[in-house]
Amino acid sequence: MISQFFILSSKGDPLIYKDFRGDSGGRDVAELFYRKLMGLPGEESPVVMHHDDRHFIHIRHSGLYLVATTSENISPFSLLELLSRLATLLGDYCGSLGEGTISRNVALVYELLDEVLDYGYVQTTSTEMLRNFIQTEAVVSKPFSLFDLSSVGLFGAETQQSKVAPSSAASRPVLSSRSDQSQKNEVFLDVVERLSVLIASNGSLLKVDVQGEIRLKSFLPSGSEMRIGLTEEFCVGKSELRGYGPGIRVDEVSFHSSVQLDEFESHRILRLQPPQGELTVMRYQLSDDLPSPLPFRLFPSLQWDRGSGRLQVYLKLRCDLPPKSQAVNIRLHLPLPRGVVSLSQELSSPEQKAELCDGALRWDLPRVQGGSQLSGLFQMEVPGLPGPPGQGQSTSAPPLGLGPASLSFELPRHTCSGLQVRFLRLAFRHCSNANPHKWVRHLSHSDAYVIRI
Amino acid sequence: MTDSKYFTTTKKGEIFELKAELNSDKKEKKKEAVKKVIASMTVGKDVSALFPDVVNCMQTDNLELKKLVYLYLMNYAKSQPDMAIMAVNTFVKDCEDPNPLIRALAVRTMGCIRVDKITEYLCEPLRKCLKDEDPYVRKTAAVCVAKLHDINAQLVEDQGFLDTLKDLISDSNPMVVANAVAALSEIAESHPSSNLLDLNPQSINKLLTALNECTEWGQIFILDCLANYTPKDDREAQSICERVTPRLSHANSAVVLSAVKVLMKFMEMLSKDLDYYGTLLKKLAPPLVTLLSAEPELQYVALRNINLIVQKRPEILKHEMKVFFVKYNDPIYVKLEKLDIMIRLASQANIAQVLAELKEYATEVDVDFVRKAVRAIGRCAIKVEQSAERCVSTLLDLIQTKVNYVVQEAIVVIKDIFRKYPNKYESVIATLCENLDSLDEPEARAAMIWIVGEYAERIDNADELLESFLEGFHDESTQVQLQLLTAIVKLFLKKPTETQELVQQVLSLATQDSDNPDLRDRGYIYWRLLSTDPVAAKEVVLAEKPLISEETDLIEPTLLDELICHIGTLASVYHKPPSAFVEGGRGVVHKSLPPRTASNESTESPETAPAGAPSGEQPDVIPSQGDLLGDLLNLDLGPPVSGPPLATSSVQMGAVDLLGGGLDSLIGAPNFVTPPAATVPANLGAPMGSGLSDLFDLTSGVGALSGSYVAPKTIWLPAMKAKGLEILGTFTRQVGSISMDLQLTNKALQVMTDFAIQFNRNSFGLAPAAPLQVHAPLSPNQTVEISLPLNTVGSVMKMEPLNNLQVAVKNNIDVFYFSTLYPLHILFVEDGKMDRQVFLATWKDIPNENEAQFQIRDCPLNAEAVSSRLQSSNIFTVAKRTVEGQDMLYQSLKLTNGIWVLAELRIQPGNPSFTLSLKCRAPEVSQHVYQAYETILKN
Repeated sequence: MISQFFILSSKGDPLIYKDFRGDSGGRDVAELFYRKLMGLPGEESPVVMHHDDRHFIHIRHSGLYLVATTSENISPFSLLELLSRLATLLGDYCGSLGEGTISRNVALVYELLDEVLDYGYVQTTSTEMLRNFIQTEAVVSKPFSLFDLSSVGLFGAETQQSKVAPSSAASRPVLSSRSDQSQKNEVFLDVVERLSVLIASNGSLLKVDVQGEIRLKSFLPSGSEMRIGLTEEFCVGKSELRGYGPGIRVDEVSFHSSVQLDEFESHRILRLQPPQGELTVMRYQLSDDLPSPLPFRLFPSLQWDRGSGRLQVYLKLRCDLPPKSQAVNIRLHLPLPRGVVSLSQELSSPEQKAELCDGALRWDLPRVQGGSQLSGLFQMEVPGLPGPPGQGQSTSAPPLGLGPASLSFELPRHTCSGLQVRFLRLAFRHCSNANPHKWVRHLSHSDAYVIRI
Repeated sequence: MTDSKYFTTTKKGEIFELKAELNSDKKEKKKEAVKKVIASMTVGKDVSALFPDVVNCMQTDNLELKKLVYLYLMNYAKSQPDMAIMAVNTFVKDCEDPNPLIRALAVRTMGCIRVDKITEYLCEPLRKCLKDEDPYVRKTAAVCVAKLHDINAQLVEDQGFLDTLKDLISDSNPMVVANAVAALSEIAESHPSSNLLDLNPQSINKLLTALNECTEWGQIFILDCLANYTPKDDREAQSICERVTPRLSHANSAVVLSAVKVLMKFMEMLSKDLDYYGTLLKKLAPPLVTLLSAEPELQYVALRNINLIVQKRPEILKHEMKVFFVKYNDPIYVKLEKLDIMIRLASQANIAQVLAELKEYATEVDVDFVRKAVRAIGRCAIKVEQSAERCVSTLLDLIQTKVNYVVQEAIVVIKDIFRKYPNKYESVIATLCENLDSLDEPEARAAMIWIVGEYAERIDNADELLESFLEGFHDESTQVQLQLLTAIVKLFLKKPTETQELVQQVLSLATQDSDNPDLRDRGYIYWRLLSTDPVAAKEVVLAEKPLISEETDLIEPTLLDELICHIGTLASVYHKPPSAFVEGGRGVVHKSLPPRTASNESTESPETAPAGAPSGEQPDVIPSQGDLLGDLLNLDLGPPVSGPPLATSSVQMGAVDLLGGGLDSLIGAPNFVTPPAATVPANLGAPMGSGLSDLFDLTSGVGALSGSYVAPKTIWLPAMKAKGLEILGTFTRQVGSISMDLQLTNKALQVMTDFAIQFNRNSFGLAPAAPLQVHAPLSPNQTVEISLPLNTVGSVMKMEPLNNLQVAVKNNIDVFYFSTLYPLHILFVEDGKMDRQVFLATWKDIPNENEAQFQIRDCPLNAEAVSSRLQSSNIFTVAKRTVEGQDMLYQSLKLTNGIWVLAELRIQPGNPSFTLSLKCRAPEVSQHVYQAYETILKN
């Protein structure tokens, strides 16, 4: 069972410290943890560490370390799950998770911890259930402002999409509205997909998989029923057939326990009564068969003159999205051989940028329209590079240390699986509220998009 | 006056201010003040001085304020026990409060105050709360019992709280059930003998029902509790599995893993032919794969668990190779784990795919990862024979890159490939030799030297290559020095003419200029071997090496089974049993998988099976030892070296004694006796004297420690049958040498002279090492005691029984024949201790039909005493484990002819009967080894 829980700032200062079992050690344990973490050799996993009989399990969230310790042989999964739930919970109750909000709300955090964990046994992590017990109000640093866009993020996905997000309500405490009924009722529904792709040097696709989830953040009073309609051609498993076309096919799907599936089989409708706060309604994954072409193809060619140490890389990037879609914040990362000294470049459009960074080439493209093609020519000096012998001075074989190229990007309003939310309908029991705002967003972003050279 | 005073006042000022606020009339102000106190507490400031003021705020109707005060109390009560008593009345009163939140809060907080005096007051309120009408209060009270048990276990038992807690398992509210289960499980762990969690089909059924209604966290408690249950038959196991399977699709990974643990454990009971078994296997894969899309922390923990699952049941994930491909943005610790699993899953079907991946990884930038990837290619070659050729060519490609660390790593693995597939890929040696100069790591240098030595006859300039290493001999690490020594000796044996000088040079470097005892010893052994019997030297040094396999890094099967019972816990992340890292006593109950038996009749089967070792799929090779230089000592595993038998008469007694003491046992070559000096190369003769005496000192010192059991003398030849000569005798083994102790009595009326003795050929080649020396004539009624040294280099013939020895004794009167049985333990040699890993692999390697099982009855010793007594007779305990209260001793012994016998001795404390399982490649010796055990243990 959990012996202690603490939150450390990014510099290792304890913000919260809670002991559940009267174990010896006291606060020094927090310091011990931080020292151990900092002194860990690179290839060792920091996830589970131990010192004598004390085991540390931690996650890093918003720059904070959330750490649980135990002296027994308990499940590290439950600790990791608990820590990430705690991060969500603290976010829900305090507005957002950060050094400032935590230290302003120490009493609230302790109260929460007391309800979540008793003697190190997890009791509940449901925002909804905890509402019955929590008395302390959150202290919010400044009144919430619609114009304060700097703190805005699309919840559920760590992306740079902030500028297009319709509202910043996502960083407001879910539960501070008890006394404040004037707040707007809002529901956010996000379909977020993470795409991992591996393309071999000959251009063949080695691996592709999509991890998707539908996330809901609701500010509606608890118990309001809603129905989410998904694309009707949505098929689960390899064999199911729906509709006339190829369908939207995923391999595996799992739902949150509060989702009722009575209309799912017939109409692909999810019914649920969500509690306030964040919730992953559905998770799905799909591998190998992507219904649409891959968003990007990279065509590299290179020329390497070993005598002079000159390396020339020509990269052509083609975006295979539909013409109306676009990708944003594209970054191509290409590790270069050791000892690259200079870089000169010719890029196909002025808004692009390329630079050397930590022994790698970084090529930034703010946006790429579907169907378009961009290119960059890069020349580098790499003196004294070893390479395959027995070939001429000039070769197109890649020198050691070059590649693989990896791409990161975001595809707003696009899902790789093709899954769409058809509708989000709310059924109201409390009529006192004005018409609630519903926001449905689709987004894909890259997880690991690797092209070998 | 001074600065210091100034500072203390400010400090006081802050506390003062808070004090004033705490005593304020306004509720809001009080609340804010307590919050400030708590904030100071968190950053480590000492606010214990405010204790009475804070406690004063306790009597309030405001729940928020009350909670804050209780929070403060929990923190400081321990340091101020007397003050804490002040709060007791309020606590007791709050336990009666109409608001269930307050009742629960009071009980919860009281349990957290670890002050003895408080606990006395806690009992009554706790009793009430355990029966409270509100489930929130009941579940809090259930946890409180565990808290109280930790402070004062006796009190909890006396007050009967445990029974109440047991009743709560049948509570209508699943939250209460979950907490009661958690509390009981924890209490039960500190009392392993008590039957607190009385799991029976009825209670299991209740738990399974509660499972569907609980919160996710409650489900974890219940599943973990279920995992401790052993179903009575396969049908029950299946029905539990069916009800647990839906948990596999839960969003909480801890629930999933706890369910996997239950399934993996109960699956053991299901027959493999069952349809359901196959269904279950299929259902296990998707949730495990899903875990790999989680954050890296969870992924890592999941991979560590998958690593175990793959070793236990590779069939579950055999089609999922792709998910273990490394992503470029994985943290390094995730990458390395994935790599390991990829190799475990590698098979002929997917090897091409795996190799292509590994080759890519080997060109990445991260040095550690690249090295591991290159090693992985080598492991693939050893694991999947069909891929070996492709692996070798991949490695050659990598060597062509000339990247220093890639080349070195590749050479190390190629050496392993050579060992696994001797005489197959020597064509690459030339390429390897090109890279000789770039090797700067000891492991790579040692590997290269091994290759040169091993294939010296095919490398034209082997002597030059080795000589180049010899120049900086003293700067090399021990690993390289040892390898160089062996390699040059090999070279000398293969090309004696050109390399005499070289071998002398290295021998003198090793024996005279080095102060490393390992190196010196090995130097002397070679020297001695070469100087006495080059033929034997050849047989020893160039003997066929045992094969290596990829199974070296597999987890020992009994440990694996235990770890499978701990899936989803820290043990599965560390890959260590909980007893290795959990503080004394708690949760160190050994768990083991249930036996795969469908019916109850065959109670014998778990006994006869070697502890958990899965049968059938073992490869028939021995893993490579950790030390790749161990080839010399590895010889013990090879076929016995048979040398030419020596004519006993030509041997000086003294020499035999000395040599028998140490070298015999060190090298395991039985024919180690000084031959005439003629065979010693003249130029080697000089340094021998000093060196050898050194060696003998050392070994005789070691040998003196051991002396095995000696049976009392018995009559072998009665006087009636031998014309008045009576012979009593016994066998001894001391300091590594065997002798036959004889007592000759002349019961005739005439003097006896001209004694001589001869043995018939026998199973182990026992023969007198010296003539029977009876110095003076034996007069009538005189008795003489003689110790006749024996060796084991005589002619061999299998006898029936195996340990039968036929002896002829001659004197001036006649020749007499008798036969006697010698106890086998005189043949147990001193170096019979097997390396743990080798033991494990050998155990698996020996087919099960070679296993014999015996009962040793009425032996009152405990495991330690048994172990030490056996050790003095050269039966060595390789490992000891405690499984379910039974001590398991794993032992090895070696006979003079090189036969290894592996034993598992199961000792139950308090039970004088032991179970002995013996495995040996020559099963006919088992019966006699068992008798030796009996003899040693009972005397």
